[in-house]
Amino acid sequence: MTAPPESVWTALQTLGSSMDFQTKVYRNETSGLLLWVSYVEPMVEMETVVRSIFPYLFHCPFSSLEDMRQILPIDDAYISSDPADVKAKLFEGYLFIRLHETDETGLLVKAQKTLERTLTIPEVEFSVVGPKESFIESLETNLYLLRKRIPIDRLTVKLTRVGTLSKTKVAVVYLDGIANPDNVQTVLQRIKQIEFDEMIDSSYIVQIISDNRHSPFPQLLDTERPDRVAAVLAEGKVAIMVDGSPHVLIGPTTLVEFFSSFEDYFLNWTIASFFRLIRLFSVAFSILITPMYVATLNYHYELIPKDLLGTLITSRREIPFPPILEVLFLELTIELLREAGARLPTKVGQTIGIVGGIVIGTASVEASLTSNVLLILVALAALASFTTPVYKMGNTIRLIRFPFLLFAEVWGLLGVAFCFCMVMTHLLYLTSLGRPFLAPLYPPRWRDLKDAFIRLPFTSQSKRPETLRTEQPIRFSGKKVRKKRDIDE
Amino acid sequence: MASVAERLQVSPFMTFYIIMSMQIGVGVLGFQRVIAQTAGHDAWISVLLAGASSHLILIVLYWLLQQADGDFLLLHQRLFGRWVGGAFSLWLALYFAAMSFVVLRTYIEVIQVWMFPDLQTWEFSLAFLLLCLYITVGGFRVVVGICFFCLIIPSYLLFTFWFVLDHADFHLLLPILDHPPSAIVKAAGQTTLTMLGYETILLFYPFIKRGAQSAKWAHAALLATTLFYTLLTVLTLAYFSEKQLQRQIWPTLTMWKMVELPFIERFEYVGIANWLLIILPNVCLGLWCSSRICKQLFPIRQKTALLIIAAICFFSTLFVHDRKQVDLINTILNRTGFYFLYIWIPCVAVITYIVKKVRGNV
Repeated sequence: MTAPPESVWTALQTLGSSMDFQTKVYRNETSGLLLWVSYVEPMVEMETVVRSIFPYLFHCPFSSLEDMRQILPIDDAYISSDPADVKAKLFEGYLFIRLHETDETGLLVKAQKTLERTLTIPEVEFSVVGPKESFIESLETNLYLLRKRIPIDRLTVKLTRVGTLSKTKVAVVYLDGIANPDNVQTVLQRIKQIEFDEMIDSSYIVQIISDNRHSPFPQLLDTERPDRVAAVLAEGKVAIMVDGSPHVLIGPTTLVEFFSSFEDYFLNWTIASFFRLIRLFSVAFSILITPMYVATLNYHYELIPKDLLGTLITSRREIPFPPILEVLFLELTIELLREAGARLPTKVGQTIGIVGGIVIGTASVEASLTSNVLLILVALAALASFTTPVYKMGNTIRLIRFPFLLFAEVWGLLGVAFCFCMVMTHLLYLTSLGRPFLAPLYPPRWRDLKDAFIRLPFTSQSKRPETLRTEQPIRFSGKKVRKKRDIDE
Repeated sequence: MASVAERLQVSPFMTFYIIMSMQIGVGVLGFQRVIAQTAGHDAWISVLLAGASSHLILIVLYWLLQQADGDFLLLHQRLFGRWVGGAFSLWLALYFAAMSFVVLRTYIEVIQVWMFPDLQTWEFSLAFLLLCLYITVGGFRVVVGICFFCLIIPSYLLFTFWFVLDHADFHLLLPILDHPPSAIVKAAGQTTLTMLGYETILLFYPFIKRGAQSAKWAHAALLATTLFYTLLTVLTLAYFSEKQLQRQIWPTLTMWKMVELPFIERFEYVGIANWLLIILPNVCLGLWCSSRICKQLFPIRQKTALLIIAAICFFSTLFVHDRKQVDLINTILNRTGFYFLYIWIPCVAVITYIVKKVRGNV
């Protein structure tokens, strides 16, 4: 959409309808010139202006805009007469200084206000050991955090603006010579093709540029840790940073990465592998345990060993509902608690959470609305679903449980197997930036399995992941020949 | 027609998984009874014989594919002319569609007898075929993915046969070779149904990168399947006496009753539910091969052909009602597969050889 070419004068007139746009007239004491200074007040750092700009403007001798530019101590100052440029820069917090009221040319001086959050610890991806810096909303600070960790020239940053109303700065970051150029091109192209008005957060970008928009599985990893981004950039991935969002997107990604927390790399590899396996088991448990409960109690009670059967039957004796209704009731209660707890203010939220959880749980068992065995299972399953380090995947896991429940109710164990096949097929369809989502499982990349379910020590990690098809597959020379020593030598 | 874009191809290593997952299907559950009827306790030798012959046939198949430049249907066309060759190809398409249908119906029968007697054939058939459509519409890569996972995930079932070993008496296998060779060979013919599946290589060969290198993986798959079946037959013959075996329609399922785990009582339910994963690639690949042939013969899209074939399979499953009819369709498929692999393929090979000598090339 092209607006008719306007002059600077009309641009300033349009802006004048907003109360926070100011045009003030000052006089330079030495030369007697009048100065018209225009700015958008909320965007300008008045302290900088008063301290650094106005003394020079009012007291130093100059006769033209070019002199002004030389005198002012601000580096980013230039003369412009392009109305679009003037408008854009005014909204970024620049001052527009003219010598006459009707002048079309003026000096743009940077006096931007930068108010941002201080660097804090990561909230979602907290780790006990390791650095505790997290990204914040300002793109410049985020780039600073990243460049601090990869201080070489190959770290390339490509900047674009996305969003017709928000004009958000989006930076695509990658290591030139390591990341596959196809991946980089895919990302750049997709971002360029985005048509959106108000781009608020990186999650908007994820949803628009994802390969499969209709899938509940996230296809780009989002993280708020600069150390994680630095590590994956070194592996050969591409990062997308959005101004105004503390979450940075990483791609191409695979399913197994959503179950690896960055803390795994700070711990010993045996412990880290153990934690990863626990995480995988807890995810499988979380998805399958309540459907198995429904399936076995409805159709296959013969599967349960007879001692356990006694406990189960006593726990269900007074319940008036079939197992599926019990399970749905409890699952929905847990989802309710989670949603409500997310929106309550902190002080009230904790109390309600504890009271709601404990009281509702205990009371419903006492009232014989649910069995205590099921309460334990549902609570464990809910806890287990929160072990996924990536928040988006945790949501997906909780969602997938419901189709499994439905199929278990209809066809029992067969339904669970059927639903599993459906989910597996869906995962086979998914791609992340064009690369298969289930790698290194399928297509099987045996070397990449060193970092999938278990994490092998760093000496085994001398090659970059095959799925990324990087240009330099060797990271460092892994083998240092050690002289073999016999016993007591 | 024989060259496929590289992004649609899979690595030659996957041939192992495709062929092995195609071969291991619903026959594993009950093939032991039929061959034990013919060859008695020497039935395991028949299985070995059948496996060895399958290697020979596979060599012939690969040779034919080399001659035909990867396109077997083109070979039909070149040898027999457009219409007769097309008729043979169409018959092949029907064969693959029948394979899907028979596997599905047999599995439904197993469920109806062992797990859910009230299960309506049509509802399971419909859901299963819809799932297969979902898979096949994704293309060959998704089908191979299913083959891969559906071979690896149920492989833990191998360990369940450990429990049967305790009760097995290997003396039941002696004396070896006291049946006439004719009986052993006849029984080998009867195991063809369980060994079927590798003829799909004729259709998916263009989708394999560096196709000639896939031969070693295909042979490895045949070897693995043969060994698996032989071991299973040996175990079955050691566990059941001959008369006992004649009364079991599904000896493998009965053997699973022996599994004793601390947290599960009747393991055969778990086994049957896992069997869904094992037959899934059979049905999907059968539908895929069949629709691909139709796409090349008629001017229709593969998706349309797929829908039609799936609909035909669905309606066919409704017409098969009881044990006798299931047995009948299995026997028909067995015979058809046998004639195709052991009679038709060698004929085509001989004709190709002669034509090559006469004309110089096919």
